[in-house]
Amino acid sequence: MLFGGIDVGSLTAQAVLVEDGTIYAYKSIPVRPNPLESAGAAFGNLLEEKGLKQEDIKYVISTGYGREKIQDAKVAQENVSEISCHGMGAFSLVKDVRTIIDIGGQDAKVIKVDDRGELVDFVMNDKCAAGTGRFLEVMAKTLGVTLDELGPISQGSRNPPEMSTRCSIYAETEVIHYLQRGVSREDLAASINRSMAERVMALVRRVGVEREVMMTGGVAKNIAVRTELEKSLNVRMVNARIDPQIIGAYGAAVLAQRERGA
Amino acid sequence: MGPRGKAMEEVIRQSEMIENDYVKKWKSEGKKVLGYTCVMTPAEVIEAAGLLPYRIRALGNPHTEMADAHLSRFNCSFCRSCLQLGLDGTYEFLDGLIESNGCDHLRGMFENWQYVKEFDFFHYLKVPHIMTRDAMEYFEGEMELYRKAIGEYFEVEITDRELLRVMEEYSLIRDKLRVLYEIREGENPGMTGAEALAVILLGSAVPAGVFLDLLDRVIEERRDTDISGYRARLILCGAATDEVDFIREIESVGGLVVTDALCYGSRAFWTVERGGEEDPLKALAHMYLENLLCPRMFDDYYSRRDYVLAAVSRANVDGAILVHNKFCDVHGVDNVQLRMDLEKNDIPVLQLEKEYGAKADLGRIKTRVQAFLEKIG
Repeated sequence: MLFGGIDVGSLTAQAVLVEDGTIYAYKSIPVRPNPLESAGAAFGNLLEEKGLKQEDIKYVISTGYGREKIQDAKVAQENVSEISCHGMGAFSLVKDVRTIIDIGGQDAKVIKVDDRGELVDFVMNDKCAAGTGRFLEVMAKTLGVTLDELGPISQGSRNPPEMSTRCSIYAETEVIHYLQRGVSREDLAASINRSMAERVMALVRRVGVEREVMMTGGVAKNIAVRTELEKSLNVRMVNARIDPQIIGAYGAAVLAQRERGA
Repeated sequence: MGPRGKAMEEVIRQSEMIENDYVKKWKSEGKKVLGYTCVMTPAEVIEAAGLLPYRIRALGNPHTEMADAHLSRFNCSFCRSCLQLGLDGTYEFLDGLIESNGCDHLRGMFENWQYVKEFDFFHYLKVPHIMTRDAMEYFEGEMELYRKAIGEYFEVEITDRELLRVMEEYSLIRDKLRVLYEIREGENPGMTGAEALAVILLGSAVPAGVFLDLLDRVIEERRDTDISGYRARLILCGAATDEVDFIREIESVGGLVVTDALCYGSRAFWTVERGGEEDPLKALAHMYLENLLCPRMFDDYYSRRDYVLAAVSRANVDGAILVHNKFCDVHGVDNVQLRMDLEKNDIPVLQLEKEYGAKADLGRIKTRVQAFLEKIG
């Protein structure tokens, strides 16, 4: 029996199918202008690839910014916040996880769950883009590297300069200033990643940390941000062993199974 | 969530306009309107002068371009939104302003508005920040100046008799608003939080007689209504929130706002009536200053806390949302202490800091509210 989760975020959209709590198939795509189109491209294409029809999926939960529209269009039967879904997704992967740091395209969240994976507490960044994937995207563009390169190149840093601001706009100006002074891209990438981790740590301190800790969302793929966070937390984070970007959709599918599963 | 009757339809429609039809009618009869903002402004004096007291609002207006030339981006966005509407002509129907010292952002709004528009009538009502015998004496003097300023400029004698008549009318309005809250806070709520805010908002933008009639009709319509389909009962507390749409968004994800401690909500009318004063102006001074539930008052946090806890218990809420606009110092500080006290009383709390009227932030706010509702079950 299959259950579905669809997560349409600000930058990417994911669809996950689970069977008996484990991932049967998934798809991740860059978002389209309309959440329904994104859901169609992720979920619809996933079903097509697997030779399945919508009625083969017993229950679907949508999450992310497009969650309501997807439910309104009856692609999903229910919508749940991405905060609960990331919590449940991380917990379902590793049952000892109690704290989840989810950094997506336009927000960062620290989520605490109990021993059933249910939400206990959470904190989310304010409306500014500092400390989110968008910040890294802008910085990568300024450095002339891809988002995927931003983590690995910072490993070659020797003398990263101090970033005096965490505001995306001012930080861009500061990075340009350092580039003009001849500071290497490796050093600047390291500064950017550290600055990102510091911003997220401000959120972490507001709810506190309980082990185990897992990082989810697209920024979890950035090895340097992850390492900086581990240093600040003094905790080694557990590995999701799956693409961290699909954990929200996976959590939604697990919740769908809990809701309607046998 | 619930069926709307004709009276509620009328309230919603009128409350969505800054210059509602009743104001237009009032002006067409050649009568004057005075604008004020703070809950501590005794509107009875204005009404007793034959003028319409109008509580200035921004109704979620997100534009501040003109206001930003006078107030900085670090000023509260509610004040900037109101100033914008003052400067762009939306408030052309006002014949004067009553400034008060609610907070420095608000004073900046009034004084820049006056600087640009140069109203012929502009009065500054100074309200003490503490409640002591000396402060009360001072405020009684301020109330005399307030009555004198309005009377002299508009060439009308504000008699004690007329003041007493208006005070009785306002007292009746407060009684009826409490009935409205009984309907809202009961086991089977008869209206949504967005509807309740619309009612109260309209109340400070129309003549008292008009509002009394509307209130009677709304109460009649909603007495036996039963709102269903919500997952939690909430109290909304905090800063100057006149955004009906903001409450509508909270309610769209299943959190029914069954009561509030908002400046544009219950705090605007829940003041305890004071009897026994022979001088109506003195009675008003006592009534307003002794019951001013606003974090701009020093050394009075416990009254505000007790007020919120009483509402929590009365309305049997499952959780509390504390909201304040960015750069609102007084509510920002108060909300921290209030959160701790509510949590001590086992009431889950969601604290929101937001930019006034910013639609871009709405998705994120809805996510937080939905997650909060999922957390409290």
